[in-house]
Parts: sequence; structure tokens; C-alpha cells
Amino acid sequence: MRTPIPSPVTVEPPQGWTLSLLHDPFEAHVGPLFEREEEGERIFGFFADERHLDDQGAVHEGMLMTFADAFLGSAAHRGAGGKGCVTLSLQASFLAEAKAGDFIECRTHIDRTTRAIIFVSARFSVGDEDVMTATSLWKVLGER
Amino acid sequence: MSSRQVDTSGFGAYAGPVLRNEAGSFIFEISDHHLNGDDRLHGGMMMTLASVVLGAVAKETAAGKSEGATVRPLSLNCDFVSAGEKGDTVEGSAEVTRATRTVLFISGELRVGPRILMTATGVYAIKGTDEK
Repeated sequence: MRTPIPSPVTVEPPQGWTLSLLHDPFEAHVGPLFEREEEGERIFGFFADERHLDDQGAVHEGMLMTFADAFLGSAAHRGAGGKGCVTLSLQASFLAEAKAGDFIECRTHIDRTTRAIIFVSARFSVGDEDVMTATSLWKVLGER
Repeated sequence: MSSRQVDTSGFGAYAGPVLRNEAGSFIFEISDHHLNGDDRLHGGMMMTLASVVLGAVAKETAAGKSEGATVRPLSLNCDFVSAGEKGDTVEGSAEVTRATRTVLFISGELRVGPRILMTATGVYAIKGTDEK
């Protein structure tokens, strides 16, 4: 097992959440990121801070899509039975703005699994409000 | 050729820098902290770069229509055509497909030399024009 890469800032996980072990330098750079099990489903979250904001003070769409790539990818990987996957396409709709201090959660759903392609969608929320939805396609490496 | 940094916001600067040269091209150098676990450009960073390039063109177009107008992304679609490697210089470009009074359609691409890394389309809402 490789050693996880630490994030440049330390943030305490919310109650019931644990630190995600990150092995991608860019995910560690924007982290820390958190996760927990909820009724057998794994959900993910992070606290938005000043590093993540755009010039209007909202969470930058690039940060939201980075968070999406990380955890839709981890859902695809599980959907592919642990095989490696790469992103083919990802579409995001930005429903509402998130602000610094918000805890943004991600819930993923495997829409379809074929031998070579995994279809994953996700919903991103702050409290009860959805801030982004995403759909994505992943290629299972070595399969056709 | 001289260049200036675009998107100097918290995340634009933290993930970047993304530069723009006098010819109007967006330039980004892939460093260690932009990589994924396979030493390739992270997909999140690639989409961030696309969002900065398309967003800058959207912002500029909105400001050109009405002084002080800003934009908000409604949708971004990114296709991962090929991988970027550490040390590569990525060049981005984008153009306006259509501009209505309230919405902009932007399409763009990221390349390393002649090789396309990503094609992207975005829909942006124009804020601050004709809104009383």
C-alpha cells in the first residue's frame, strides 16, 4: 500500500467522517477531502475555503469538477470490480453557488456498467440544497 | 512574447497559474502537484484549465457587450481525448459559438503541440446586463 499524500492544510473531519486517503498529488493539493458510509453507500465531502473560490467569492467550478473527478472515479473503480478506469467525458450542471465555509457533499450513482464502460452520475449538495449535478463516462482499462 | 496571468481568483491562482500570451493563447505548464497517481495531468486539473479558458472568453465577451457584466457557468462538458504528462506545455483556446442577450455558448480545446488533450463546451449566464 502506497503512503497517502498529505494536504497542505489541516481540517478536522466533521463528526462521523474520516479523512480520505489520497494518492493523486492534485487531489491532495486541493484537499483535505472526507468520506463516510451512509446506509451502505459511501459519500464524500470537503469544506470550501479561500483557496477554492472564484473572483466572485463562490466555489470555483474547477474545484467542484476536481472533487467530482476524484469521487465519480472512485465509484467507477468500484463499479468495475477494482479495475483501473480513466475519465472519457464529464458534464456538470451548476445549480447554485457554494460559499467559503460550506461543507459540500457528493453522492454517486452507478447508472450502467458494461465490460468496457461505466456510467456514473452524482449529486452535490450543501445541507438540503443541491449545488451541482454531474454525469460521466469511464473507460475500464484493458477491456473492450 | 509577454504574457499575463488569467483567473487570479483563489482557485485560479492556487491550481494554476494559467497565462495568456499576446497572441491570445492560454498557456499552462504541468508541474508535480497537477498530476494524478499515474503521473499524468489530473482530470480535475484538466477540467479546471478548461473552465479557466472558457470562462475567460465568456467574461471578455460579456464585458464587451455591456460594461461591468459578469458571467456564471451553467454547464460544462469536458471530453478527455488524450493524457497530459509532467513538463508538457498545454495551450488552450476557446471561441464563442453563440451569444444571446442572456446566455453564451463557448467551445474550446486544450492541446500539447498538435495533440488534443480535451475538447470542452460551456454554457454561461450573463449577469448584470439589462437587469433592473
